[in-house]
Amino acid sequence: MKATRRAAVLAAVIWLTGGALMTQPVSAQTSDDEPVIYDLGVDSDLSHSLNPWRLCCGPDYEYGELVYDTGLAYSQEDLTAAPKIITEWTPSDDYMSYTMKVRTDATWSDGEPLTVEDVAWTMNFISKYKMPLYIGYFPFNPTFEVVDDETLIWHSEEPTFAPEVPAYFFVLPEHIWGQFDTAGDPPAEGAPQSEVDAYNEALKEGRSAAREFANEDPVGSGPFILDEYRKGEYLHFVANPNYWGGHPSTEDPRAIDEVYIRFFGNLEAMTQALEAGQIDFADGLTPGLFNSLKSNEDVVTHVADAGCWGDIAFNFGGQPGGKATNHPALQDLAVRQAIAHSIDKQEIVDKVFERTAVVGDSFLTPGKNGSWYLDIPPDLEYGYDPAEANRILDDAGYLDTDGDGVREMPDGTDPLDFEFIAINDVDGSVGTGQLMDGYLRDIGIKMTTTTVDSDKATEIWGSGEFDALIWDWCPDPDPDFILSVFATEECGGWSNGCYSNPEYDALYHAQKQEMDRDEREQIIDEAQELVAQDLPEIVLNYWSELQAYRSDTFEGYHPTPNVENGLLMLGYSTTVNYLELRAVSEQAAPGAGDDSSGGLNWWVPALVGVGGIAVAWVLISRRSRNEDDEE
Amino acid sequence: MGGAYIARKLLAALFTLFFVLAFNFFLFRVMPSDPVSINARSERLTRQDIQEQLENFGLLDPLPTQFVRFVGNTFQGDFGLSFVTGTPVTAEIGARVWPTVLLVGLSTLLATVFGVLIGIKGAWKRGSAFDTTSLFGSLVFYSMPEGWLGMILILIFVGWLGWFPAGGYTSGLESGFGNIVDVAKHLFLPCLTLTLGYIGEYAIVMRSSVLEVKNEEFVATARAKGVRDKDVRRHHAVPNALLPTLTLVFYSFGFVLGGAIIVEYVFSWPGLGALTYNAINDLDYPVLQAIFLLSSALVILFNLFADILYGYLDPRVREG
Repeated sequence: MKATRRAAVLAAVIWLTGGALMTQPVSAQTSDDEPVIYDLGVDSDLSHSLNPWRLCCGPDYEYGELVYDTGLAYSQEDLTAAPKIITEWTPSDDYMSYTMKVRTDATWSDGEPLTVEDVAWTMNFISKYKMPLYIGYFPFNPTFEVVDDETLIWHSEEPTFAPEVPAYFFVLPEHIWGQFDTAGDPPAEGAPQSEVDAYNEALKEGRSAAREFANEDPVGSGPFILDEYRKGEYLHFVANPNYWGGHPSTEDPRAIDEVYIRFFGNLEAMTQALEAGQIDFADGLTPGLFNSLKSNEDVVTHVADAGCWGDIAFNFGGQPGGKATNHPALQDLAVRQAIAHSIDKQEIVDKVFERTAVVGDSFLTPGKNGSWYLDIPPDLEYGYDPAEANRILDDAGYLDTDGDGVREMPDGTDPLDFEFIAINDVDGSVGTGQLMDGYLRDIGIKMTTTTVDSDKATEIWGSGEFDALIWDWCPDPDPDFILSVFATEECGGWSNGCYSNPEYDALYHAQKQEMDRDEREQIIDEAQELVAQDLPEIVLNYWSELQAYRSDTFEGYHPTPNVENGLLMLGYSTTVNYLELRAVSEQAAPGAGDDSSGGLNWWVPALVGVGGIAVAWVLISRRSRNEDDEE
Repeated sequence: MGGAYIARKLLAALFTLFFVLAFNFFLFRVMPSDPVSINARSERLTRQDIQEQLENFGLLDPLPTQFVRFVGNTFQGDFGLSFVTGTPVTAEIGARVWPTVLLVGLSTLLATVFGVLIGIKGAWKRGSAFDTTSLFGSLVFYSMPEGWLGMILILIFVGWLGWFPAGGYTSGLESGFGNIVDVAKHLFLPCLTLTLGYIGEYAIVMRSSVLEVKNEEFVATARAKGVRDKDVRRHHAVPNALLPTLTLVFYSFGFVLGGAIIVEYVFSWPGLGALTYNAINDLDYPVLQAIFLLSSALVILFNLFADILYGYLDPRVREG
């Protein structure tokens, strides 16, 4: 029968084609005429677009820092302020202004020179238009004055250390982005309200227009130039030969010429790609996949401090809008203390995070926040002790008067029945909630868990219709922002549950006005102790970022900060690694003819081809026999 | 078959399309929360920023106002801008159409050809080793989750053998003919997964259909006339058994633009399925509305084709 014969031939063709198509690893190439290519695997595409005003998650900042330069950088050593486009910054005696020197040897990728005006314009734009994401780094309505070709002055309405945080922003070309700066000068004092309204409306329009600009052909001054962005697939960068720092690839044949950031929705596929040598680095691995890589001798696994903490945040009520439904018992420190004593943080780390996190104690992290972090003294911690938790609740009068296993308020009214919000797209939140249910039951507290997405959680958080959130924070290296989260003035803003404590507020404002680093550190230590004692939130753990890389393709990874568990890629200033990494050697690089991972390539297609022919031959001859039988 | 039959079918199709248009609009807005708050913390968006963004998206207007605007714009071919990327939805979809057509179209084609051939052969030699094996294989692949099958193929062909890329549409390293080969390399595993996933269905439907026809009197008559076995099969049985499979084929091609969400996700294939997955995660209403409208329109269109074709193939259909 011809159809079957055709099918057999087609099968053979497909098989043979499959053999011919079999891939070779695409990583580092180090021969003279082949570019050295670095492939980084990440678990998601860009969050929005190529617009630097809308960075969020995943590879967004990696893209930003490869294509653009920040004004100031985070030092690789300890994440303090380091020079970049701004090379020097000197505060005035009263810290009301900073004189900044700007480098004069940088050019935009379209050939225009990067000038001090570009830097001042970018910072003015952020300050004037209150650009989300960056405005927090520019407190007290600063203005920026260009003094000469390489000098500008940051003027502040109040004393500030903001530039030294460092103020994080990408320097953007005014000749591209200036089109959105259309609001003009602010109305003079005493101007009619209509004029003020019109100005505010113009600011809003400029802000929206700048944030919605697709920026499909980004013009930056960073070490790489974006060559291609294929949505859902990859970002491709090529070395910027005019980079002000001098791009190493122009001199060193082992330096990286091109970078691909490849998006894998499926982490299993990303792991297999790393094993097969198709990528050089994988980020965002799950514990199971991470552990599976440990047996591969060409892969190095790296547990990095992600600089984030998981927590339980209690709601104290009072959110604007008057919709708060918080349980009154949570106002009582005794109840919060009892809950803290009931939690086995180590068990959460072991079971929920599969030991890839560590137990946490303060809202600053030991890695990212460095010396700002305070290791909370044991006498201020509420360690795992359910018996003590029960004793505290008994002493405070929360007794189970009706014998249903749930304690009531001291006046015998409401039962201690709390609504916890678990968030299914936040690492560990749901698992933590499941364990919490048991912990609280052991001390006579009922817990109702509502599981939602983080978008819904944001809405609930704003309304105050909850008792506790199981969420997280990823603070900046400088503590200022995360300290604000516990301040009374942030109720309705960044505050998790409208915690209010005048003593804390005083510390928060004092640190903001303290320009001496050591003095400020002492104040922040006090704030950490206060939060640990007063428990507006219970810090449960510090997460890790699970990263892995091939050791046979590139070498020279530098962790940031420079500690054993610093991040290697996708962290603050880790993009320096793209300049510092070197292909291991011409012989060792996959795709350059080595045996280690590309050795299968010559005989496997041949074998598959022979197999395909054999199968086709068997099918055809069987078919012929059958047809003969039928006739 | 008269024009009235076709007009009736066309009208029904248009009505269904409008229903889909309206239903999709409200369906996505029933989902909790909004498209701005998702990453509010990571993007450091204050509540005022969120409100401002929602206002820009027109999501603070009353629902009827939004609906009228949406219907009006859609009829003008304006699907709006993606909430996530800020680019026109038509461009978002345009960039994803071809990878999906390539993957799902080719897989459907291969599965149809091989499935039908296997089904015919199995039914004609019912109970033979081929029939038993192919039926077992068909059932296994038909019931196997495609995502899982894809993962297994990745494990074998990428992790162990290192033969194919783990995901994506192209490596970006090639140009010209090299790029075609490169795309083919990336296409191989997802296409194999989908083909295996679809093939069982075609084989089973075709097999049972041929089995049914095989016992009809006209087949017995043909045999009695002394027609050779393969001619009975080819000229008498198969043409009469094709109708149910034809339905399935049209139905499947109607779904081509819907993409293969799971397989595209597993293989990081940048098609409409992956776009749908991301748009659901991001609550990107304009993109979702356009994709659902497009894929619904295609399903309706192919059903319409099938209906009209049935009318020609089987007079009982148009008389019913």
